[in-house]
Amino acid sequence: MTIFTIDEVTKTFTNGEVDEQVLKGINISLREGEITALVGASGSGKSTILTIAAGLQRATDGKVLFEGKNMTDMNQDQIRKIRASEFGFVFQSSHLVPFLTVEEQLLLMLDVSETKLKKREQQVEVEKILKLVDMDHRKDAYPASLSGGEKQRVAIARAIIHKPKMLFADEPTASLDSKRSKDVMTLIRELTKTLNITTLMVTHDEDMLTYADHIITMKDGLVLT
Amino acid sequence: MNIAWKEIKKNKAKFIILGSIIFLVSFLTFIISGLANGLSQDNAALIKDLPDGQFYMNVDANETYNLSRIDESVQTTVLNEQKDAAALSIQMGFVNDMEDKQHSIAFVTSTDSKSFESVGKGEVILDRSLEEEGIKVGDILTNNQFSGEFKVKGFVDQKKYSHAPVAFINMENYKEIYRVNEMQLIFVPGTEKAQVVTSLQSFSNKEFLNTIPSYSAEQMSLNMIIWFLVAISGMLFAIFFYMMNVQKIGLYGILKALGVKTSRLFGMMWYQMIFITVIALGLSVALSHGFALIAPKGMPFSLTLDTTVQLSIVFLIIGFIGATLSGLQIKKVEPLQAIQQGEV
Ligand SMILES: Nc1ncnc2c1ncn2[C@@H]1O[C@H](COP(=O)(O)OP(=O)(O)O)[C@@H](O)[C@H]1O
Ligand SMILES: [Mg+2]
Repeated sequence: MTIFTIDEVTKTFTNGEVDEQVLKGINISLREGEITALVGASGSGKSTILTIAAGLQRATDGKVLFEGKNMTDMNQDQIRKIRASEFGFVFQSSHLVPFLTVEEQLLLMLDVSETKLKKREQQVEVEKILKLVDMDHRKDAYPASLSGGEKQRVAIARAIIHKPKMLFADEPTASLDSKRSKDVMTLIRELTKTLNITTLMVTHDEDMLTYADHIITMKDGLVLT
Repeated sequence: MNIAWKEIKKNKAKFIILGSIIFLVSFLTFIISGLANGLSQDNAALIKDLPDGQFYMNVDANETYNLSRIDESVQTTVLNEQKDAAALSIQMGFVNDMEDKQHSIAFVTSTDSKSFESVGKGEVILDRSLEEEGIKVGDILTNNQFSGEFKVKGFVDQKKYSHAPVAFINMENYKEIYRVNEMQLIFVPGTEKAQVVTSLQSFSNKEFLNTIPSYSAEQMSLNMIIWFLVAISGMLFAIFFYMMNVQKIGLYGILKALGVKTSRLFGMMWYQMIFITVIALGLSVALSHGFALIAPKGMPFSLTLDTTVQLSIVFLIIGFIGATLSGLQIKKVEPLQAIQQGEV
């Protein structure tokens, strides 16, 4: 079943006098629970389409449908609400909040997503997810004391703790060595399959493609078929 | 979850520095305003501590009480109509104590009234500060314009005029010293303006104070310093909060990307600003009142809780505006920017 549709999306950036069309009509549909990998040369527009899909920037033209609702028609706050409760993000760097412990990062996300859980239940959720990403022994650590791989695992935990329907990942393994990368991808695959989360992921790395259900190749702002 | 508090806890040094700035600036402002008030008290406590009312002097006096001579018949009429009214005169002068040491004082004399001390002929009531200079009750004081002697009958607190202690003397003695028959002023307590006598010009207590040249000049400079300090601290606050916010742009972007409401980010900033400011101001109020206790005796320093609380409220408002203005950039933060900029 299709849960997410990108329909004829274009994006034009204006640099001074010059208009640059970075996306030239992108069509992608994502099926529920599947992992779709976006590949393509650097500069082909992968990050741009991913962030448009994730509601972090607007398309110049075209539609982005999430569960049948057109996000391009929504106002900032409606999109924010969807981001908070239905979407999860993982980026190249982990973007953890520097003054929160691992545990607090996750509690904050539960709070922001307005998941209606009692304190005790939140605690249970946090413990469960930290076990899944194998970080339960570092729950009181601050980001500054974590290694790159550990940070990324916390970021993944944060991206899924509120049980989003969609996970958007932009080169989540780019900062990791190949062993760590495989671990992280295995983790993402396991978690999204267990929780039935639909994933759109940009990757550079050929090895990571084995974890995807579909592969979409982009070139110069277009999807290659 | 209270992220504002979590940040303060994790970044104590940063917030302590910010708090110390607010503390120092407000402390300085309180001390200066204590001095301003102290000086004003030293300069004119005699007038300042009177109940609200009206002063009258001759229209011809050009708003200078020394030049005012109120006609005796006018004085009688006004005093008859207004039963609490008093006619009075003030002149700067000297007295010599028993060791022939000269003391600069302000002679004040008045008709019988609740507002001023009444003294018998040959008697004098002095401001308490002269007691500290060694004069005692029963001492005999002299003045070279005066044929008789003054016997010190007692002391009163906080009666100063033009930075000199006041000496209340009997009207007969006053008339002899200064060779005048008329009084300079009439004071009528009460908020209502008494029926206008055409030859007299009326002044509220405050207006009257401002006719004393030394008083208005002194207060103007001190008030100017205070308001400059307030304005400068306002800018300081704004700049500090601005720098803090600029440092946190990345963080705000990430939080926004996660779906945190902009209003919550503002709430976070306000919480931190109010927390820091209230503690700093509290400390500063306490210490400035503490300073009043240990200030050297001769130092004119007078700080009321009213003043510090009012100034604190001004500081809070300024801090709030500064933080909010500098926080307007939170609204503009694009989550995407933060994500593309990498680690915060
Ligand atoms: N905010 C922006 N302003 C102007 N140009 C941009 C902006 N973001 C991306 N681009 C341009 O769009 C093109 C595609 O970028 P991006 O989507 O990041 O590519 P990829 O992720 O495939 O490497 C690049 O040429 C890039 O310079
Ligand atoms: Mg990219």
